[in-house]
Amino acid sequence: MAQPLLEVKDLKVHFETEDGLVQAVDGISYSVDRGQALGIVGESGSGKSVSSMTVMGLTRAGNAKISGSITFDGKDLLNANASEMRNVRGSEIAMIFQDPLSSLHPFYKIGDQLIEAHRSHNDVSKAKARDRAVEMLGLVGIPDPRRRIDGYPHEFSGGMRQRVMIAMALINDPKLLIADEPTTALDVTVQAQILTLIQKLQSELDTAVVMITHDLGVVAEVTEEIAVMYAGRIVEYGKVDTIFSAPEHPYTWGLLKSIPRLDTPRDQELVPIYGRPPSLINKPSGCSFHPRCPYVREAHKKVDPGLEPTGSADAGHKVACLLPGETRRSLWAALRAGETPDAAIEEVPIPETTLSPSAEGHTGEEVTGP
Amino acid sequence: MAAYIFRRLLWTVVLLLVITAVIFLIFYVLPSGDPAKLRAGRTPSPETIAAIREQLGLDRSLPAQYWDYIKNLVWHFDFGTSYTNNQSVKSLVFDRLPNTIFLVLGAAVIWFVSGVVIGIVSATRRGTLWDRVLMGGALIAISAPVYWLGLVSLYLFSDDIGVWHVFPGAGSYQDAHGFLAKAHTLILPWLVLAAAFAAIYARLLRSNLLETMSEDYIRTARSKGLSERRVVLRLGVRSAITPVVTVLGLDIGILMGGAILTETVFNIDGVGRLAFDAIQRGDLSTIQGTTLVLAFAVAMMSLLVDILYAFLDPRVRY
Amino acid sequence: MPRSVLRFVLAGALAVLAFAVVACGGDDNNGSSSSSSTTKATSSSDVGTDNTKAANVEGKKGGKITMLAGSDVDFLDPGHSYYTQGYMVVYPTQRTLYSFKPQDSVKPVPDLAASDPEISADKKTVTVKIRPGVKFSPPVNRAVTSKDVKYAFERFFSVNVGGQYPAFFSSIEGAPAEPTKGVKPISGIETPDDQTIVFHLKEAAGVPVAAALVMPVSAPVPEDYAKKFDAKNPSTYNTHVVATGPYMVKNDADGNTVGYKAGKSIDLVRNPNWDASTDYRPAYLDEVEMRTNASDANVASEQVLSGTHMLFDANPPANIIKKVATEIKDQYVQVPSGGYRYFPMTTTIKPFDNVNVRRAVLAGFDRNAARLARGGKFTADLPTHFLPPDFPGFEEAGGYDGPGFDFLSKKNEQGDPALAAEYMKKAGYPSGKYTGNEEFLMVSANVDPNKAQAEVAKAQFEKLGFKFRLRLVPQDAVYNDWCQVPEKKVAVCGGAGWFKDFVDPQSMLEPVFAGYTIPKSGLNNNMAQLRDPKVDAAMKKAALLDGPERLKAWGEIDKMITNDAPAVPFVWDKTTLLRSKDVNGVANGYTTTWDFSFTSLK
Repeated sequence: MAQPLLEVKDLKVHFETEDGLVQAVDGISYSVDRGQALGIVGESGSGKSVSSMTVMGLTRAGNAKISGSITFDGKDLLNANASEMRNVRGSEIAMIFQDPLSSLHPFYKIGDQLIEAHRSHNDVSKAKARDRAVEMLGLVGIPDPRRRIDGYPHEFSGGMRQRVMIAMALINDPKLLIADEPTTALDVTVQAQILTLIQKLQSELDTAVVMITHDLGVVAEVTEEIAVMYAGRIVEYGKVDTIFSAPEHPYTWGLLKSIPRLDTPRDQELVPIYGRPPSLINKPSGCSFHPRCPYVREAHKKVDPGLEPTGSADAGHKVACLLPGETRRSLWAALRAGETPDAAIEEVPIPETTLSPSAEGHTGEEVTGP
Repeated sequence: MAAYIFRRLLWTVVLLLVITAVIFLIFYVLPSGDPAKLRAGRTPSPETIAAIREQLGLDRSLPAQYWDYIKNLVWHFDFGTSYTNNQSVKSLVFDRLPNTIFLVLGAAVIWFVSGVVIGIVSATRRGTLWDRVLMGGALIAISAPVYWLGLVSLYLFSDDIGVWHVFPGAGSYQDAHGFLAKAHTLILPWLVLAAAFAAIYARLLRSNLLETMSEDYIRTARSKGLSERRVVLRLGVRSAITPVVTVLGLDIGILMGGAILTETVFNIDGVGRLAFDAIQRGDLSTIQGTTLVLAFAVAMMSLLVDILYAFLDPRVRY
Repeated sequence: MPRSVLRFVLAGALAVLAFAVVACGGDDNNGSSSSSSTTKATSSSDVGTDNTKAANVEGKKGGKITMLAGSDVDFLDPGHSYYTQGYMVVYPTQRTLYSFKPQDSVKPVPDLAASDPEISADKKTVTVKIRPGVKFSPPVNRAVTSKDVKYAFERFFSVNVGGQYPAFFSSIEGAPAEPTKGVKPISGIETPDDQTIVFHLKEAAGVPVAAALVMPVSAPVPEDYAKKFDAKNPSTYNTHVVATGPYMVKNDADGNTVGYKAGKSIDLVRNPNWDASTDYRPAYLDEVEMRTNASDANVASEQVLSGTHMLFDANPPANIIKKVATEIKDQYVQVPSGGYRYFPMTTTIKPFDNVNVRRAVLAGFDRNAARLARGGKFTADLPTHFLPPDFPGFEEAGGYDGPGFDFLSKKNEQGDPALAAEYMKKAGYPSGKYTGNEEFLMVSANVDPNKAQAEVAKAQFEKLGFKFRLRLVPQDAVYNDWCQVPEKKVAVCGGAGWFKDFVDPQSMLEPVFAGYTIPKSGLNNNMAQLRDPKVDAAMKKAALLDGPERLKAWGEIDKMITNDAPAVPFVWDKTTLLRSKDVNGVANGYTTTWDFSFTSLK
């Protein structure tokens, strides 16, 4: 198997703050192949943005402690110096963000901002860079790009701004595009347009994409694989189909049940995930999802689960859950049939002490990579 | 834009008219300000004062007198005559205005540049020793009274009463001829006047810049792979400096009549001193004149700032 | 003293009096001081600070002096000037009929006049002979005649010139009762020949009118030249003034005083038409440059003390006065400001109608504390009576030792509670303290030092058991709205001052303490409302006297007033003047500032 484009191994990003150590990312591993798309899904505070910002080298601060490894195209990004990092940023890895208005400098024309992005990595004339900018604006679907290039960000609509951001991100033909909640601030119809655009460009330009979102529905359309993050960890990993058809983590179930889907029966209730995301300073003991898990047993509060293969048809499918595989599958079957978690508990016996392989060989320090 | 500027100019004229009216009224409401009494000498009888009032035209109705005043002001640019030394207020004011402009603009350049540099250094090295030393110094500069600072600087560095004879001392400005010679004598006053402002601007810019640096567009800029230097100087400072420029304009306007202490300590004939002396002597024509000039300066500077703002921030449109 | 006048006039407190002097409670920063001209005041013998010795030094001729002046002149026009800074220029540039040598600020000497004034027996005519050989400076260049003096008086009464002390000369026949529009002749001033001027008076006021001939108005003004300037309103003679004294403000061929830059500088140069043989002034210096904008006293003081060829005319800050008095012991001169500051007690308000209560207050009063509020011992002496040092009648009233009343003795600086209690017992308060319960009103300006001194005074009264409310009001309201308005029932004014205009004891005592000057309505200068028939009678008698008897009589009156204890006199101010080491600075006790006509370079 060829070397993946991006390989993140056991990445930990901790921040020392006055309140204590924030374990924003606590040992995650994933990889993205060239031209491939990965979705990272989780609530805010799950560490999904921090991990991708770390890939970009944008979390390097005096109070940040970063360990593990990030290998991009054969380069060790974690140990790259500032100027090496800068050469990667915007050139080989580009990024787009949630709020396209605040992400563009309000005082500069969008053309200038695009040209700046291009020229900072390419030794080209202003005119050439401008042509490139116009081309990119055309590519992302800005009408009349030759004129609009001299507009200021506030003169564009939200969707158009995000197109500008995408144009800026792709202006240097990056190998990887990290899209951090690219559609969250947009309204629904525009969301679809942007996603279609990303998808189209990904296939046309053969750019790998890491799509970060809290919305499983978004990744479903764009990516091939999904990593579900919770409290700084990846709790489930698998192909899109697997995650949607045979998810094995109660948190993933929660995510799936909390979004409206076309294929769910109309009378079926949406089930929110109760409780709030945990503090990253004082994480719950054992399985960090246990305070919100409807299927929790005492033993789950003591043992920290590791990410283990589920043994399903999807060879890459892994989950970090202490429930025995059989129990998980039975519970999902009940839920999938439209039952509420409470009803599912009635139906499926949950063993008190029998734990899944996630509990073994895992001390909470190591995570086995995919 | 042109329409806006025209509208603003019109407003400025209205504002100045209101100011003249207010000043004019104060002139008459103040019991000690009666020019007839000033002219009448020490122990005038009421008849004497009445006679003088008539001769000076002070017995006519207020609107009529105001009309005269405005007429002289607009047609002849005449601010009237100082009753305490029979001098034309116009010549008094315009004799001093260049000195004040020279003093204030020179100091403004110093404080703006140094304030911005210190602010940037401090913000980009937030929490370090550099930051602490600079901000601590700024706090001292802000707290130090200008008058005290002026005296200390003279006692230390002036070439007549200083410990080290480095810079020209108080009163040397009026003896100097030529731009460079005058600028040389202004080094100490510039530094003293600029000190507190530089400190305030440094703090202002530091906090603005810190706020700006956490903006999303800065993250974008970094993700584009721009050098940190470019991110800070081109993108961060550009946003952080805009409000500072607004303050700068108004500060310069206000100092056109407000650099009293610096002008006093360093014995520079400026508008502030003129106003201060006039207030002390109850010389209301001169107070009127200097107040008008000050009001005009502030109004023009605020207009200038607003126009400048439209250039600095493309979101602002008039 | 003119310098305070301006402020006072501005404040609008204008009292109509024959000898108006000024109730200057103001915050004028002039102090004054004491080693001095005629009197061997405090220290003495120290050449560095003894003004008489400095004045008697045969100076070196030539050189230029830079004078750092605390403020600008009011006017250069001798008919308009009425302010210390103005006087500083007027006297070296103009020859008034009479003027004062720096060695003697009590008796004026003939200046433009050839001899002492002749006052007729009925005191209704004053005749002055004018010295021949005095010439106007360029561009006038002609000899001065008596008509030039007459014109000076006539223009003084016009609104164009705006003479500021017409009351001194209102007894002249035909003197306008109100300012004239344009210069009008005055019938009572006659010039029988070019060297004689006669003042005919409506009443027997020859003595005070003759005494007032030292005022700047008596300097000649050439009508032929000045007419065109005086025709304007205000007159522009101020910037075209010509000189008769040893110096002149530098001017051009048309008479424009190009050496005068308002608020900046005044350049005094030698008057080429001045003939030394006609004048008592030595006029050593060639040139004086006055910097009239040295408004920061700290900096200017240091510049003068460490520099060369410089003088400073404003009171230095307290720390510098202390430094020159105790460390340098040189480079300064102190001159009495010619006035007294006092806390008047309203004698019509019980129990201050009781003389022993008032004496008790004086006896117990910590006057040193009040003096500290004004700068302390280096800036003022503690009075033992009212007429100030170096003033005519001062010695006759007891000099520095005073008339010898125990309640206002020289030794009692900080108040004597036992003595105060004794007087309270005499006044009918057996406990030695006041036992009434009413609250008395004291009014003071709301700014220091007046506020500080009033607070001291309040504490002193409270020591004796009085309850006081101190009302702080703006400076200009203290007198015209409160202390000078009897209906306001101010028991104690929180600080008043009375300063000389010209040196006559009558002007220092009559307006302030004569019962007959209290007006039926309007502003009252006799704030204590003292009506002592004996004092009043003595004043009426003394007013007509002349020569040494006059001084003796007014000295006695001062003693009588002091014995009546109508007020607590708490300072006799002094003005401190600084000079560079190489300057033999001579002060003039009359103008209370530097005298350029006697100052020289060492």
